[in-house]
Formats: sequence, structure tokens, C-alpha cells
Amino acid sequence: MRAADAAYAIGPAAPRESYLNAARIIEVARRSGATAIHPGYGFLSENADFAQAVAEAGLVFVGPPAAVQRLLGEKTAARRLARVAEVPVAEGTEPLTDVAAARVAAANIGYPVLLKPAGGGGGKGMRMVRKEDELETAWRAATGEATTAFGQPALYIERAIWNARHIEMQILADNTGNVVWLGERDCSVQRRHQKLIEETPGPSVGDGLRQELGAAAVRIARAAKYENAGTVEFLVGGDRHFYFLEVNTRLQVEHPITEMVTGLDLVALQLRIAGGEPLPFAQADVVRSGAAIECRITAEDPRAGFLPASGVIALVREPAGPGVRVDSALYAGMTVPTEYDPLLAKVIAYGRDRIEAIARMRRALEEMRVSGVPTSLAFHRSALFHQDFITGRYDTTFVDRWDSRMATDLSEGATAAAALAAVLATRARVERRALTVADPPWARTAREDALR
Amino acid sequence: MRYEVSLDDRIARAELTEHGRFTIDDRALAADVRETVRGRQWSITLDGESHEITVVTHDPLRLDVDGHDVRATVVDERALRANRGAAGTRSGRVELRAPMPGLLKAVHVKEGDRVAADAPLVTLEAMKMENELLAPSAGRIAKVGAAAGAKVEAGAVLIVIASD
Repeated sequence: MRAADAAYAIGPAAPRESYLNAARIIEVARRSGATAIHPGYGFLSENADFAQAVAEAGLVFVGPPAAVQRLLGEKTAARRLARVAEVPVAEGTEPLTDVAAARVAAANIGYPVLLKPAGGGGGKGMRMVRKEDELETAWRAATGEATTAFGQPALYIERAIWNARHIEMQILADNTGNVVWLGERDCSVQRRHQKLIEETPGPSVGDGLRQELGAAAVRIARAAKYENAGTVEFLVGGDRHFYFLEVNTRLQVEHPITEMVTGLDLVALQLRIAGGEPLPFAQADVVRSGAAIECRITAEDPRAGFLPASGVIALVREPAGPGVRVDSALYAGMTVPTEYDPLLAKVIAYGRDRIEAIARMRRALEEMRVSGVPTSLAFHRSALFHQDFITGRYDTTFVDRWDSRMATDLSEGATAAAALAAVLATRARVERRALTVADPPWARTAREDALR
Repeated sequence: MRYEVSLDDRIARAELTEHGRFTIDDRALAADVRETVRGRQWSITLDGESHEITVVTHDPLRLDVDGHDVRATVVDERALRANRGAAGTRSGRVELRAPMPGLLKAVHVKEGDRVAADAPLVTLEAMKMENELLAPSAGRIAKVGAAAGAKVEAGAVLIVIASD
């Protein structure tokens, strides 16, 4: 909001009264004189009813039209569409509404299976079920989350693919039938099906697979009469076979890494497409160079099972430097609320090759400081040094296998300094005095000692 | 004042006198200390090496030490003595507290139930996610602090386990 030219209040913090309040958002758009609404990648970005309401209000919705969203938002319908477009899908069911039917279907497919909301994607309400006695608990949780997130309790079951990588393909489609693919992103570093690290190019993706995924994504987009920016998600098994997962009918959180390697501004292109312009380039003009990585810094404690945390940000230092981009709205004094996603900031690093991108990301993460809430930084910092990440041989189990108890390797000096700081922090809190002096006597004496 | 400081798995004895002497494990250190953000961040130079320590959270104490995440506890000598005196009289009760404010969606246990460590006790909804909170240790459920449907604040006692 600090960067906005104009801001309008749309309601209180509860999403239902603000970010999900379509009528209110449209009214504010009218009042402000806006002619188009960009839904971002949050609440209403994949809501067909909202897209329709925007169009009916005479405004332009920056994204695919309501009919396309409705088709692809119905996840089992999207799977049927993929089959028609001759894109492989993992074995699965139609929407189910009760746990008894789920039990039968899961037994037929064979464990492990995934429970997925039929009404929407993005990993919300998704549960892995390893054996039958886990099914009921998982069903309860998933159906609850699906209702909260998408207003629909129905779930479908899909066969789980082992050692899979989550690879997605960015596409752009204009209103005249041109469709291009811009390249893949490997988003396999996830916990609870929420992405923590994304990178492009995918370290496991060769030219052949890239072309195949691109062509498959374009076929699906054409079959759906897709318009604007979108992402076609795939699972790629250890045997390099790929399976269609879903289409995200919006800009993705991780879109900056594609911007870094293609030099394209995806949001600007979205606006041009929404304005009726044709794509200003063809498939052959898309050039990718270098490598980019994104780390999603979240208000979650990696050393406590990634439990979300809330609190007040006391201090922020964001990294900078060549090839480093930070997309965030963090500031000291900000309250991290419980109503929204725990995403705090996106740190993006670009390099001429993957090695340089990793080096820049390590430096950026080391430079970053967030005080006030636990963050995922500890995970990200160590992940960028993990052998499986460095070699690019990781899959969707990377976070589960990450050892949060890993001892921190502090030098003797850092340990002593940390012990001193721990004592000072405790005293500052307990006594709330002495430290109000900029240069307390003990610090001065210590410094004199050092100079002797 | 003397302290016992733990940094992850390490334990050190530290002493900080009002005259500015800092010792760690009885070794005196010459530290140049700058408080860069009041009560939150210090730049500490020891033996010509500079270290930056930032408080991530105060309670529980969590430090960012040159980009490393470290859990710390500080116990002063008075508390140490008090703890030692009390040792043996403390009952084996373990509390499960809400790590964040949220909506208690479900309580999976009732008073008197026996649970294994890591058994799911409650489901807490926060940040659009349902989080299963697990039993910190095995034992018998001594108390259920809140009912399903309740809004709970961070730190609220949800379950008390009388450990075996």
C-alpha cells in the first residue's frame, strides 16, 4: 500500500469481508475510475464468478475469461480436457462427496493416494494418504479446507507419483489464438504442497522434455481456448514420464524467475493482452538465458514443523546487489496477521548459470534479517547448501527429509558473541534500563580492554 | 551476574559484571559491543572478528547469529538455584499451548485418554491452513483447556498431559 498512488479501504481484515467481497471491490474500482482489475495471485484470482462479475460491470478482468476459469477450475473437468488434448494424466476419480466412496476408490487405485479438492487447486486442502487407516482423518481435514478455500467440500482421488518433481510451464495466450510457452519452473521444494523454492531452468529438465512439456501446455491452452497468462502444472516421475496436474489460471507467485531468464515483464504483457493487443512476439522469439531461483520467505518456523507464526515485525533488512530482486511488503512495525498466507517476502536471484544463481542466493539470504517472528530463512539458508539441492537431484520429498534438528555450525567466536547477546537480550527485556544509554559503561570498558 | 546460556545443544557459563567484564566458561573476553537496534540487534567484535546477532523472537529466545538460526535460553544464577531446589518436586505435566492465535477446529482426545508421543491432539486453523498439533510426549490427558469451535490466543493452554 505504501507504493500505491491511491488506496481505498475495502473492509476489515477477515477475507470474506474484504478480499473476497467481489461486489465491494467492483464498486471501489468504479468509484476510482479504474477500467480494469488485476486480481494478483491471491483470493479472487481464480474465481470465475468474480471474473464474470467484473466483465458484467463493464470492466476488464486481467486474466482468462470466466468460462475458461470455470472449465479449468473444475479440476476433474480439466483432467478430461487434458486427456482429449492427448496429455497424460495420473489415474484418478471424479469428484467424491463421502468417505465411504473414497475408501472404495482409494483401494481400487492402490495406496498411496492424494486427496484433492475438486473445486480448486494450489495445494490447499490436499492430503497424501499412505494407508487406509489414515484416510478418514485426512478426508476430514481436506474436505474442511476445501470448503474454506473454495466453498466446495468435494474431493477427488489421484494416484500418488513417487519421487516426483513438480514442474510447471508458463504460457501466454492472446485473444487472437496465439499461444506461446516461456519455459518451465521446478517447484519441487514444497511442504504441505506449498512451494518454498522455485527455480528455472529445472535442473533435471533436458531440452527434449522441455519441448514436450511446452507443446503439451500449448495443446491444453488451445483446447481450453485460453487467454492471458497461465501455468500448466505437471508431475514428472523418476522415469521422466510426465502427468498433467492442473492449470493455474492466474499469474503465479513464482513468476519473477521466468521474467529474470526471459527478460519479459509478465504483468505488462498481461495488461496488453487484456487490452486486446496481440502477443508482440512468436514462440521462436522467446530466448531464455541464465538461471533464476526464488525463495519464499514465510512466517513459519522450520524448526517446529513449519508451524505458521504471527506477531509484529520488529526489524527488517532486505538483501540487494547484482542479480538480486526482492518482492515484499515487509516493514518494521507490520503485524503478521493470521488471516492470510504466511508469505512475507520473495527473494529472487539471477545468475548467468545455476552456480552463480545459487551463490547470489546464498549471499542474499545471509544478508537478510527479519526480527519479530520466526521465519523460514533457516530452512532456505541450509537448503541452498544441501547436497541434493546443489546437484539438482531433489524431488517433492526434499522438505520432509530436511533435518530441522541439524546443529548450527557456529565458530568459537560466534558462539561467544551469541552468548553475550543472549544475556544482553534477556537483560534488556527483564530490566528495561541500563541499555537506554547508547554506550553503556560495560561496553566502553570492554572496548578499552580490547585496545590495550 | 552469572548465567547459564544454552545455544541449541551447547551450554556455556557466562558472567557479565557491572564493570564490563564478560567471561565465558571462566575465560575473560574483550568484546566491543555496539547495540545497533535497541534491545534487538548487536554488533559484537571479538578477536578482530565482527559478529551480528539479531533477536528473532524474545520468548522463546531465538537469535540470528551471522545468518544462523539459534535457539537460546538464558538462566541467571538465582533462577538456577531455585530450579535445583525444586528438582524432584515438579510433577511430570506437559502443556500443549497454541503456537499462534486461531480457531480450534477439532479436539481429538478427552480427559483420561492415554496418548503416544506425536499423536494428534487438536486441529488448529490459522493462516488458511489446518494444523494438527501433536502430543509433545506420551502420557495421560489430564486436562482439555478449550473446546472445538473456540477461538484461542497464542499461548493458550490447549491440552495438559500427565507424562508417564
